[in-house]
Amino acid sequence: MSSDDDRVAVTTADAWPEDADEDAGVVVNWFMSEGGHLEDGDSICEFQVEKVSVDVPAPVTGTLDEIVLEEDDEFERGDTLAWIRSD
Amino acid sequence: MAQQERERQTDRSLTMSRAIVEAIAHEMREDDDVFYMGEDVADYGGIFDSTAGLLEEFGHDRIMDVPISETAYIGAAVGAAQAGMRPIAELMFVDFFGVGMDQIYNQMAKNTYMSGGNVSVPMVLTAAVGGTYNDAAQHSQTLYGTFAHLPGMKVVVPSTAYDAKGLMHSAIRDDDPVVYLFHKRLMGIGWLPAPDGPKTGVPEEPYTIPFGEADVKREGADATVVTLGLHVHRALEAAESLADDGIDAEVIDLRTLVPLDIDTVRESVAKTGRLVVVDEDYRSYGVTGEIIARVAEDGLADLEAVERVAVPDVPIPYARAMETEVIPDAADIAAAVRNVRSNE
Repeated sequence: MSSDDDRVAVTTADAWPEDADEDAGVVVNWFMSEGGHLEDGDSICEFQVEKVSVDVPAPVTGTLDEIVLEEDDEFERGDTLAWIRSD
Repeated sequence: MAQQERERQTDRSLTMSRAIVEAIAHEMREDDDVFYMGEDVADYGGIFDSTAGLLEEFGHDRIMDVPISETAYIGAAVGAAQAGMRPIAELMFVDFFGVGMDQIYNQMAKNTYMSGGNVSVPMVLTAAVGGTYNDAAQHSQTLYGTFAHLPGMKVVVPSTAYDAKGLMHSAIRDDDPVVYLFHKRLMGIGWLPAPDGPKTGVPEEPYTIPFGEADVKREGADATVVTLGLHVHRALEAAESLADDGIDAEVIDLRTLVPLDIDTVRESVAKTGRLVVVDEDYRSYGVTGEIIARVAEDGLADLEAVERVAVPDVPIPYARAMETEVIPDAADIAAAVRNVRSNE
């Protein structure tokens, strides 16, 4: 049922600051819980790279199906933050 | 609708800083007379994210960086308010109040009275308060008592994102001067992590929280803990640990110091008989003494034991270990609750 086919990945690469030299970051805040409904473009979480906070917009409208990286988790550029099941 | 229900009705939770900004942005869209000024509030977005993103929407005419002269720009805000605008002026750290205190205490707070009611001063003065991040004695004070002591202004201290938004809507719409004190440790910024509590569900639509209504953040039968700001969360943490030992503490969040909802405190003490007041401000001549005195005035017979937990009358130390020692934590609050119950 929950194959990745009908889910959209939210990746850290999409929101990565253009002028950042580092390839590692940390999740600072989640603004949604799993199961919550979100609209395309809503800020769903915030991560930090080189002391810069970056808002991550939802790539599609849908339901937050799975949070992969929790608050305080460290990650590499390109890692998947979460999965959204689109409407 | 009960507040907890409204918090739950949204899928979205916000940090306290984002909730504050959302309220300010809404009021600015609704009313061209609302504007914001302070040090580093425009291009930097507020050093504690109190204005993050506002410049992009409203521009430098309404989100204004000012020179480092608290007297000048707080005075300008008072004048603008008297002329019919609704300024929000940010004092970057509450510790800097001394520089502009004539404008705050003698103009902002008193001009309505001094003019015989011919002018009102509908402005908001925001300021960051609090310690626990090693910023030494001139950047870590809380000073609730200083502002609540002098008549003429309302004093607001939110502890959660939900409360912060509703209280900010109320503050901007109020026709009298309001001092809005936000604790740095509650704002939810990356380099200064918050405890889990202040991030709450926050509805997208505007809503107001009236001044002078304390909120019972946890119900309990054995002792009443009265506090505000960051220490609401420390008191809740203490209550959790006490519950493990069968002690049921009630936690009251005052939310505003002026006006003060003493009725909610008295009703709780009538139920529990035991009162602990917790404050991150100095012990002497402050919130702890005031709350205990007001309960004693009308409810002395209800009081079986009282204790206050506050910062001793010393400057906030820079050294981490010493700062941790003087600022009350959850263990200090739990110990005080145990003490007031020790004569049972």
